[in-house]
Amino acid sequence: MASPEDATDEALASRAALGDTGAFDEITIRHQARVYRLACRLVGHDDAPDVVQEGFLSVYLNLASFRQESRFGTWLYRIVTNAALMHRRARTRRPVESLEPFLPEFDAMGRHCQTPAELQVPARADELLDRRELVDAAMAALERLPDLYRSAFVLRDLEELTTAEVADVLGIEAATVRQRVHRARLMLRGYLAALAGAKS
Amino acid sequence: MTDVSCQTGVELLMDYLEGVVPDDVRTSLESHVSGCSKCSAFVASYLATPRILRDATAAAMPPELQRSLRAFLRAQRGDDPQ
Repeated sequence: MASPEDATDEALASRAALGDTGAFDEITIRHQARVYRLACRLVGHDDAPDVVQEGFLSVYLNLASFRQESRFGTWLYRIVTNAALMHRRARTRRPVESLEPFLPEFDAMGRHCQTPAELQVPARADELLDRRELVDAAMAALERLPDLYRSAFVLRDLEELTTAEVADVLGIEAATVRQRVHRARLMLRGYLAALAGAKS
Repeated sequence: MTDVSCQTGVELLMDYLEGVVPDDVRTSLESHVSGCSKCSAFVASYLATPRILRDATAAAMPPELQRSLRAFLRAQRGDDPQ
């Protein structure tokens, strides 16, 4: 039998389901950084530790239901994303302002209302804003996305899953993933434009 | 599909990037964007948005949280404390 460090995720999951605690420890070590990063993006830094604990506990309790036909990583993302959504629903959160006002604007002919220079500004947000300001603004922007858009955007664009993988994790059609991610990108792009435009 | 407005182009941008628009639509979009400085600028900023947010939200897990997670999971499993 391969040592835990050399085994695939799927093999470790099988061994952990049979009570091999070393295999489960290896799963935790291997994925904890990614799970923490995902949790931060879905619920923010303050609540991420709770979601990480809830996510790994859920993995442990549900190892027997892991079906080897899907990748372990996809299954893990599904569990942690669900833990994050349940966590958000259980918490009373302060109302946040919608990002809808940051959607692009067009004239009656369907042409962009802004100049090329103005439209280009968001691409320079990381040059125009200092690091701390950008980090805080990015986290605040994710918080302002509707849950449906946030999950799809985080998984597709920040965790860099494929559209098919996101559809699998969220249990929705690929076309719905594309629609939600696109809408989130448009709002976040406009939000960066407003932030960076004030500095340009 | 021949005439594409900026607004239509924006609406179809994600599908275009994912390669799920018909060939005639793809050709019309590419033709419009190549001749529209506003759309060229918009596409550049649309493509940059995920990268900027990815970089800004890539949090590293604190070592103390790694330790507390390990202790939490061992307690849940009923392992002997180490």
